[in-house]
Amino acid sequence: MSVEFILYCLMNLGLVIVLAPLFISLIKIVKASAQGRKGPSVFQTYRNLMKLFKKEVIYSSNSSWIMRITPYVNIICMLVAALFVPLVFIPGPQSWFGNVILFLYIFALARFFMALAGLDAGSTFGGMGSSREMSLSSLTEPAMILVFAALAFVYQATNLFDIFITLSESPLMAFNPSLMLLAISLFIILIAETARIPLDNPETHLELTMVHEAMILEQSGRNLALMEMSAAVKQLLLMSVLINIFFPWGNTTSFTIPAIAGSLVLFLVKCILLALVIGLFESSLAKMRLFRLPNLLIIASVLAFLTVILEVFLP
Amino acid sequence: MINITLDMLFILATFLLLLAALYTLLFLTKKSKIVRGVSLSVALLANAILILISSSIVYSGTALEFNFNQIFPMMGMDFLIDRLAAFFILAVSIIAAAVTVYSFHYLDHYPQTRRKNIHIFLMNLFVLSMVYVVASRNMISFLIFWELMSVSSFFLVCFEFEKAETRKAGLFYFIMTQLSTVFLICAFVILYNETGSFELARASEMSSGLLSMAFISLFIGFGIKAGIIPFHKWLPYAHPAAPSNISALMSGLMIKVALYGLIRFLLYIFPATYLWWGILILIAGTVSAFLGVIYALKEHDLKRLLAYHSIENVGIILMGIGMCVIFTSYGLTALAMISLVAALFHTLNHGLFKSLLFLTAGSVISETRTRNIEEMGGLVKRMPKTAVLFFIGAVSISALPPFNGFVSEFLLFHSLFQSSLIPDPIVQLIMLVCLTVLALTSALAAACFVKAFGTVFLAAPRSEHAAQAKEASWSMVAGPSLLAALCIGLGVFSFQIFSWIGPRIGYSFPLPDMLPAVSVGAVLLLMIVIGFRLTDSRKPRVSETWGCGINSQNSKMEYTASGFSQPIINIFSFIYQPQKINKRYFMDIQETVFREGKVEIRMVRFFEDYVYLPIARTVQRISRWLYSQQNEVTLDPFIFYEFLAILGLILLVGVIV
Repeated sequence: MSVEFILYCLMNLGLVIVLAPLFISLIKIVKASAQGRKGPSVFQTYRNLMKLFKKEVIYSSNSSWIMRITPYVNIICMLVAALFVPLVFIPGPQSWFGNVILFLYIFALARFFMALAGLDAGSTFGGMGSSREMSLSSLTEPAMILVFAALAFVYQATNLFDIFITLSESPLMAFNPSLMLLAISLFIILIAETARIPLDNPETHLELTMVHEAMILEQSGRNLALMEMSAAVKQLLLMSVLINIFFPWGNTTSFTIPAIAGSLVLFLVKCILLALVIGLFESSLAKMRLFRLPNLLIIASVLAFLTVILEVFLP
Repeated sequence: MINITLDMLFILATFLLLLAALYTLLFLTKKSKIVRGVSLSVALLANAILILISSSIVYSGTALEFNFNQIFPMMGMDFLIDRLAAFFILAVSIIAAAVTVYSFHYLDHYPQTRRKNIHIFLMNLFVLSMVYVVASRNMISFLIFWELMSVSSFFLVCFEFEKAETRKAGLFYFIMTQLSTVFLICAFVILYNETGSFELARASEMSSGLLSMAFISLFIGFGIKAGIIPFHKWLPYAHPAAPSNISALMSGLMIKVALYGLIRFLLYIFPATYLWWGILILIAGTVSAFLGVIYALKEHDLKRLLAYHSIENVGIILMGIGMCVIFTSYGLTALAMISLVAALFHTLNHGLFKSLLFLTAGSVISETRTRNIEEMGGLVKRMPKTAVLFFIGAVSISALPPFNGFVSEFLLFHSLFQSSLIPDPIVQLIMLVCLTVLALTSALAAACFVKAFGTVFLAAPRSEHAAQAKEASWSMVAGPSLLAALCIGLGVFSFQIFSWIGPRIGYSFPLPDMLPAVSVGAVLLLMIVIGFRLTDSRKPRVSETWGCGINSQNSKMEYTASGFSQPIINIFSFIYQPQKINKRYFMDIQETVFREGKVEIRMVRFFEDYVYLPIARTVQRISRWLYSQQNEVTLDPFIFYEFLAILGLILLVGVIV
């Protein structure tokens, strides 16, 4: 492992931890202004997290070690996954860092623990959340695999680093029309995985909309902070996968301060734009009924599959 | 020199296993536990020797040859253990060792001494026969040990034969397993006809039609034993009926022996393989994997749930085999090798985690005295060690990193991702569909094991027995622990293992290195934990779960297993075809006063209702008709039938030749 790579790791981790809560509040602000409200401050999510970190942890008397280790497993999974997605700087090809399958299954591991923790306390809400989460994720996961299979067809690579490097050398490849379809399906997956409207509503604790929030209902104090932090990190990671694949300008391969600073500014601008899009998308839709959701997720798979068909038959 | 010692060691292991088996027969009626203890210890020693031999062959690649022709002349008792066979013997002996340790105490709660001793006798015989099926170099000895394997496992399944359910399961299993042998014999006869030898060696060129017939026949024969859909139905019957150590052996090993047969014939015996075989195997595998997990999700019988997961995993292994055949037919040998290794590695991994799950499920079932997961719950506090072991199995089978199940599925994903290298677009699309279904399958498997672990071990106990459960005895923890350790080890160190073994086979494997990821994770964890300790030293408080205002929370408020899987059943209702039956009974004819009602939701048992039962009914009708023809028990009609049969045979042979 070169020094450059270690610096990359530290920088990526640092960026992810610092920036992740920002976009949670940003999307909230966009939604609030779409509804004609003022919305929270940009720093509100940071304040919430700080408050939770200071609070006491309470466990249910039913709960076991699953409840106790889940927050840690979740945040660790997300931070390890953070090393897989170069945000602003690509340190050259890696043998297995950035492997898309491993990337997806790290998310799956985090979800597995989260769903078990939902069942651990023995409350109905937690079980409901786990059940819904596992059902919906069983449809998002194939969609994600298909998206990455389509990308593997286009770029001949199963590694995010390789894809990003190819794109930073010839960013015009992102104008491939069949990739538009993939962008849509990746956007749907992003919405699904970050528990947003129309699949879930991150704002409420209503029984009808609860998927993600229900699962972490029994978490408290710093454990809850860790869970919310992991959700924020996951959102940022998926956002940057979308941005860096379909709008690949700025991601640099040279390790110099001006290059990285420039790329960081571009990355922030693109992320803010995407947050805007997500916020407006959420505001313009109503929550869908639970059993309508599979259709939306199947659309994501179908679009990815269409891309593959295009790539297979149109050389 | 080394060959001779290995040879002798192998025969020593055989002898020890036989001794272990016969020892219990000698003291059949002896009540003391020491008899079984001695027998199991000897068997453990034999398995240890087998592990040693087979791992040395896997590493060195020098085949081991021996025969028993002096003892059994003219019976084709030739044996050859090459790398492939040694790999399977390794899997058999590791898992058999763990099951042997587990069996020290597992049988304690059954009262019947004689039956328990016979059980140990048959178990050792069963393991021995599996080792010898794999080692066979001749179709005759293959069949002899194959039958020994089937018969001994049949008796083992029928351990609790006084239960009608068990007798039914045993009979079902026996019929299916004999059917499998029939198909095997057909294939062997075709091969013998063409090559003139019963030896399991590369056959000479033969016509593609006959070869395909032999393949289909073998595929069905091995498919029945391996539990490929639609030949799978015996698995969900036999596994719940059998004692758990036997379920572990059957699911972990016996169905793998069938897959060994398939791989052996496809790669080492058949002179050629065709593309459509590969596609057939791939599709059969995909269907089995998907339907296996779909049926598992609706199951509340813990062992039946695990049995359906065996079907799923056999499907995944078959996908690897199918990909291997497809890649071979396009000349992509490196990818073919990766797919084959994916299949083989998954075979070992599935053996490990499925036996682990069956054994721990056995401990749970003997404590809670029910197989229904809705009556369990809260066991993580009452059986903490068993819970951890089951958890490791659940994570492995859900193909989550860094455990072993993930590694083999990763290899399979990798080879499916390479479909862009195949020139034929149709095959590419088939592979992509299979890729999607595989992703769906593994996500559903994770959902199913969240359900299983959640309802069995988490929250508050849902029944009296579950509330009073105690931790299993030491041997029932020690046996599965061995398997759990291997599940973790083969996952975390997979990259190191494959880069060590890879050059010896001559291929390199594109595996992710788990060790750095795990160590990065461990360092981060340490930092977070230390950070928390430094900033906040308060102890976490323990309080009751919030029950929406109700003070005392009880187990009725928990989410049930049926509730958990309900959304998935709803999403996939086009497969389950749930039928809602709503019956209402009234006090009077005008139907005004309601007396009672009955609402029932039942899933269509597609294969049973539309495949198995119609066939069974047809066979029954034919035999009834034949029976009516033979009603008068006199000699003359029989002589007449004999005559007709011989005449028919002569005509048939005349037409064919």
